[in-house]
Amino acid sequence: MIATLFIGCTLLLALGVPVAFALGGGTLAAMLVNGNLSLLALPKTMFSGIDVFALLAVPFFILAAELMTGGALSEVLLRFASQFVGRFRGGMGHTNILTLTFFSGISGSALADAAGPGAIMIRMMRDDGYKPEYAAALTAATSILGPIIPPSISMIIYALAYPDVNLVGLLIAGVLPGIVIALAMAIINHVISVRRNYRGSTRTYAWRDYVRNTWRALPALALPALILGGIASGAFTPTEASVIAVFYALFAGRAIYRTLRWAMLPGILARSALMTASVLIIVAMSAAFAWVLTISRVPQDLTALIVGMKLSPLAFLLAVNALLLAFGIFIEPLPGIVVLVPILAPIAHALGIPDLQFGIIVIVNLTMGMLTPPVGGLLFVTSVVARVPLAKMIGELWPFLWAQIGVLLLLSLFPSISTVLPAAFGYR
Amino acid sequence: MLDRFDRALLKANRWTLIVILAAMATMVFVNVVLRFTTDRSLLWVEEVSRYLMIWLTFLGGGPVLRYGGHLGIDTLQEALPRHAGAIRTAIFAILLGFFAFMVWVGLRYAAFAWEQTTPVMQIPIGAVYLAMPIGFALMIVHLLLMAGPYVRRRAMLADGEFDADAAKL
Repeated sequence: MIATLFIGCTLLLALGVPVAFALGGGTLAAMLVNGNLSLLALPKTMFSGIDVFALLAVPFFILAAELMTGGALSEVLLRFASQFVGRFRGGMGHTNILTLTFFSGISGSALADAAGPGAIMIRMMRDDGYKPEYAAALTAATSILGPIIPPSISMIIYALAYPDVNLVGLLIAGVLPGIVIALAMAIINHVISVRRNYRGSTRTYAWRDYVRNTWRALPALALPALILGGIASGAFTPTEASVIAVFYALFAGRAIYRTLRWAMLPGILARSALMTASVLIIVAMSAAFAWVLTISRVPQDLTALIVGMKLSPLAFLLAVNALLLAFGIFIEPLPGIVVLVPILAPIAHALGIPDLQFGIIVIVNLTMGMLTPPVGGLLFVTSVVARVPLAKMIGELWPFLWAQIGVLLLLSLFPSISTVLPAAFGYR
Repeated sequence: MLDRFDRALLKANRWTLIVILAAMATMVFVNVVLRFTTDRSLLWVEEVSRYLMIWLTFLGGGPVLRYGGHLGIDTLQEALPRHAGAIRTAIFAILLGFFAFMVWVGLRYAAFAWEQTTPVMQIPIGAVYLAMPIGFALMIVHLLLMAGPYVRRRAMLADGEFDADAAKL
C-alpha cells in the first residue's frame, strides 16, 4: 500500500496533475490497492484535516496582508526603511530587504511578500540601475521571511501536523532566525553591490524627515507589534490576533492612510478566498495522505529504526536538512509539512532536539524549496512580476541560496537562536 | 449561450466566496470584541465559522482551477512540447475521474453523517459535509468549461478577470 502511495503520487506529480489532487489521487489508489479500508475514510480524514478552529487564522492572515497591500502600506514601509539603510552601498537592495522584513511581520506567506511589496521593490531597484534579474533574485530570496517571521501560515499548519508543539512558542521562535536570514541576505547584497558598484542614495534627511517618515509608518509598524505582542503576552490567541489584524488593516487603510476604497473590498476578499481555498484543499488532501502513512505505521517504524541507530542529534539534524532540501525541490511547503512532520518531529523529539528548533529548521528548509525549480512557487511569481526569464534569475540566486544554507547550519548547530526568545516568554 | 452561463456561474461563485469570507471575519471579530468587553462569547460562532471555512474551501476549488491557482509541475509538458496536448488530455481525464469519485464518496459520507447533529446549532453534520460533493461537482463543471482552451493551448483565465468583475459592479 505504501509503495502504491508513493509511486502513485510521484507519477501524478510528474505528469503535471496539481499537487493537491496528486496527493488525493495517490491516496485513493493506495486505498483501492489495499482493499480492506472503507473508502469513507477518505472524506472523513479530509474533513478532520480542515475542520479546525485554529485554521481560521489562515484566511484571516491572508486577508489582513491583502488589505494592507491594498492600503498602499508598502510605500510607507519603504520610505521608513530607506531613510535608515538607503545611503549605504547597495542601498536600494538593503531597503528592499528591510521592507520585506517588516512586511513579513504582517503577512504569513512568502508569495504575499513577493507579489506585494516585492513587486514594487523590484521596479524601484531596476530604476536605480540594478540588474532586473538581480533585483528579482534578491526579492525572491528575502521573501522566504514571510512564513518565518510571525504570523505564519506554515507554522499554523505545522502545529496541526504535530500537536505537541506549542503554536505560540513556534511563532515567537521564528523572530530571531528571521532576523539572521535578513542579515545574511544583506551581507550578500553588500558584497555584490561592492563588486558591481551599486551605489547608495545620496539623499540626506533632516531630523524633520525622520520624524515625518516614522510618524507615517507608525500605524503600519504597529500591526506586527500588535500581533506578536498580543500573542506572546497571551492577551489573545493566534486566531483572534488574525481577525484583529483584518479589522486593524481595514481601519488603517480607510481612516489613516485613506488609500483603501470600499470598491476594492470585493476584489480583495475574492482573491483572499481563492488563496485560502487552494491552501486548504492541499491541507485536506495531505491529511488523507498522512493518515495512510500513519495507519501503515510508517512514522512509528521509522522512529524506532532511527532511534535504534543511535545517531547524535546533530547528525540527525544534518541528515534531515539534506532530506528536506532534496524534498523541497519537488514539493511545496504545506504538503511537505503535513506529510513529513508527523514522521520526523517525533523522531527529533525522541533524540532530544528541542521541538521549537526542529520546527524552525523544517519550515526554513521547506520554504527555501520554493526558490528551486521545478515547483518553485516563489521563483515563478517573482520572474513574472519582474518580467525576467527564469534561467537568468536562477543564475543570480545562487549566492543567496548558499547564504541560506549557511543559516540552516547555524540553526542546526545553535538551538538557542530558535529557543531563547520563546523561553523568555515561558515556551519551550 | 455557454459563454453567458459561464460568466454567470463565475460571478455567482465569486460572490458566494466573498460573502462567506466576509461573514467569517465579521462573526469571529464580533466574538473577540464580545470576549474583551463582556467576558462572554457566542458559542455558535466557533462552530458556524468553521463550517463556513469548509464550504469556502470546496466552493473555491473550482475558481482556483480556472485561474490555474492549483500548483503543478509543468516540466514534462515543456520538455515534450509535441506531446503536450496528449499530456494535458491525460491530466484532464485524471482530474475528471478523481472529481467524479469525490462527488460519489462525498455524497455517501454526507448521507452517512446525516443523522448526527452539530453540538451547538443542532444542524445535521451531513449538511456541512455536503460541501465536498457540491464543491467537486462544481469543479467538474469548471473543468469542462475550461477543457478546450486548456488542452489545446494550456490557457487559463487571467487572475485579473476575477478582480475585474469587481470593477464592473
